[in-house]
Amino acid sequence: MQSIKPIVATVALLAFPSPLAAHEGGAAAGLLSGLLHPVSGLDHVLAMLAVGIWGAQMGPPAIWVLPVTFPMVMAFGGMLSLLGVPVPGVEIGIGLSALLLGFMVAIERRPAIEVAAVLVGFFAIFHGYAHGAELPEGQSGILYSIGFVVSTGTLHASGIGVGLIHRWDRGKRALRIAGAGIAAGGAWFTWLAVSG
Amino acid sequence: MRVPFLVAMFTVLGAAPHCLPGGPAPAAAHEVRPGYLELRETAPGVFRVLWKKPARGDMILKIDPVFPDGCAVVGIGSETIRGGAYVARATLECEGGLTGKTIEIAGLETTLTDVLVKVYYANGLEETHLVHPNSTSAVIGGPGSVVQRIGAYARLGIQHIALGVDHLLFVLGLLLIVSSPMVLLKTITSFTLAHSITLGIATLGFANAPALPLNAVIALSILFLGPEIVRVWRGETSFTIRHPWVVAFAFGLLHGFGFASGLTAMGLPQTEIPLALLFFNVGVELGQLAFVLFVLALIRSFRTLEIRWPRWAQLFPGYAVGTLGAFWFIQRTVALLGGM
Amino acid sequence: MISLVFSAHLVTTGLGPLFDGIGHAVVTPQDLLPVIAIALLAGLGGKAYARKVLFILPAAWLVGGLLGMTLMWSAPLGTTALSFLILGGLVVADRPVSEKTGMALAVALGLLHGQMSGVEMQAAGIGLVGILGTVGTLFALVSLVTGLVVSLERPWTRIAVRVAGSWIVAVGLLYLGWTFGTRG
Repeated sequence: MQSIKPIVATVALLAFPSPLAAHEGGAAAGLLSGLLHPVSGLDHVLAMLAVGIWGAQMGPPAIWVLPVTFPMVMAFGGMLSLLGVPVPGVEIGIGLSALLLGFMVAIERRPAIEVAAVLVGFFAIFHGYAHGAELPEGQSGILYSIGFVVSTGTLHASGIGVGLIHRWDRGKRALRIAGAGIAAGGAWFTWLAVSG
Repeated sequence: MRVPFLVAMFTVLGAAPHCLPGGPAPAAAHEVRPGYLELRETAPGVFRVLWKKPARGDMILKIDPVFPDGCAVVGIGSETIRGGAYVARATLECEGGLTGKTIEIAGLETTLTDVLVKVYYANGLEETHLVHPNSTSAVIGGPGSVVQRIGAYARLGIQHIALGVDHLLFVLGLLLIVSSPMVLLKTITSFTLAHSITLGIATLGFANAPALPLNAVIALSILFLGPEIVRVWRGETSFTIRHPWVVAFAFGLLHGFGFASGLTAMGLPQTEIPLALLFFNVGVELGQLAFVLFVLALIRSFRTLEIRWPRWAQLFPGYAVGTLGAFWFIQRTVALLGGM
Repeated sequence: MISLVFSAHLVTTGLGPLFDGIGHAVVTPQDLLPVIAIALLAGLGGKAYARKVLFILPAAWLVGGLLGMTLMWSAPLGTTALSFLILGGLVVADRPVSEKTGMALAVALGLLHGQMSGVEMQAAGIGLVGILGTVGTLFALVSLVTGLVVSLERPWTRIAVRVAGSWIVAVGLLYLGWTFGTRG
């Protein structure tokens, strides 16, 4: 399981307490900005939808392994950013993720589940790194995180929901076209990141 | 319906503040009051300030208004604690008036209370803001929109029922008596209908019930349900058990007067009452529905988990409802007699 | 800025310590999410498992709360994130492990988190009644969640539970970042 390694990492960190983060504080504002953040960036939305659709194309167990993997690895990326661990090429990684995942959907490629999970997980780190820690000043970190995770999960669910049309031939074709669209969007964002 | 332990626990938890030393005064049956800040313009830029916040004994909610720069308190103010509320009066002089400026309620973010801010202008206009823990300040200048006020009244209604322990205990008693979903539906509907009628009558000013006797009788309605719950548990029957909706309707009329206290205490202007009444009631019903669903879900969970409750735990809810009803009835009757 | 401040006792809801305690349980995700996680786990473990956790957790929480009130000692900060990760991780893996382990986890969670909230409640002057409010709320919460999970029969609903677990792990990882990072 993906969760085991972070647990081990945590144990080591436990010995070093730092100033108490406000246990109580933070209003609904933190939750709300967490909920809204993932849907406010098109690059992020495209990649999330692609994860859901791709999972639906592959069917079980990928249909749920991918959406289970993604939030956890993404949160891991967010944690790296919060801890100040440098990760290079984040914006390029996000653009590439939409490009590649969209491409996979477009060609309806079904690799082994491990390969798919690693691919999705790899890109998830960039997404988490870029967005998981963009907390507006003065809001509750944990509520923001909850909102962020829930919102991302809901995007996956929407992707899976859309992907369910895969059972019809016409639906299959529509999904592949959507994948191509996402890939095109991803290419655009990658270009922006590289040039800008 | 067998009566599991958690329901009982809930009743006790809900009741506990009333039993503990330092708990509320007997008359504080409907202690769910928002804070209230009133600014009445007496001359350009001069406001008479009334600041009320809930208090219980010597415990006072630690919230206080902060006025914008350019405002100063002039003259002598007053400060009293009476009838479960802390009341302060002062005169405020603001250079250039209050329009466009922000009034903040400091300390509100750490509470669950709302504060109603009302400004009455010398020209007869007025505006209302509901300030709550998520947004602790109000920008003065133009009355809130209808949608905002609808939300505010519905919120007040939900709070009023959520924190009105005696109403919830009565509903819980009804839930423990009803035998089938159909009866449940009828019972809750008639309770709703009945208290909506009297809530309307009282808010519109056609009739009124004095607080102290009303609270005593509401306690009596809870006491009344205790023996019935025990009867259900023993497999006996009675008029109430066969026709719980009749009882729900009759006592619902009383509880409606109780709900009205949450609205009339705000001292709304006549033109505002229909809107406030409607959505306050909607809020109350939403809160009540949520409570009913909560209890039903809990009962269902206990069944799913096949918890075998010991005998005392099964009997507990009936006795808890009855005992608390009796306790409040005696307490409130004493208050009533003492107040005469 | 001038203010009409007249001193008063610290009250958070204005409705007494019991409601403060209930409110504390409901609005504190640091306590709420691990409790949901262990309830999901107990539900995955079946009826008997769920019943044990249902009664043990609040009892341990009460003991932990009392300890916290008296000792005023707080567990290391990372404990909260660790609870998220361990309990959420077990839910993701769909490994309720043995009943004994489940009970041990419930005791540990109750003692540690109960203790932390006991310290806070003592500091806020809510005390024992507040802890009772929290414990009652958690009992209701755990029974609702376990009852729901136990009654799930279709395979995909079990997967939904695992997805919920993965969200809790994700929040835990981010919380770890908030706790130890520079921005916490």
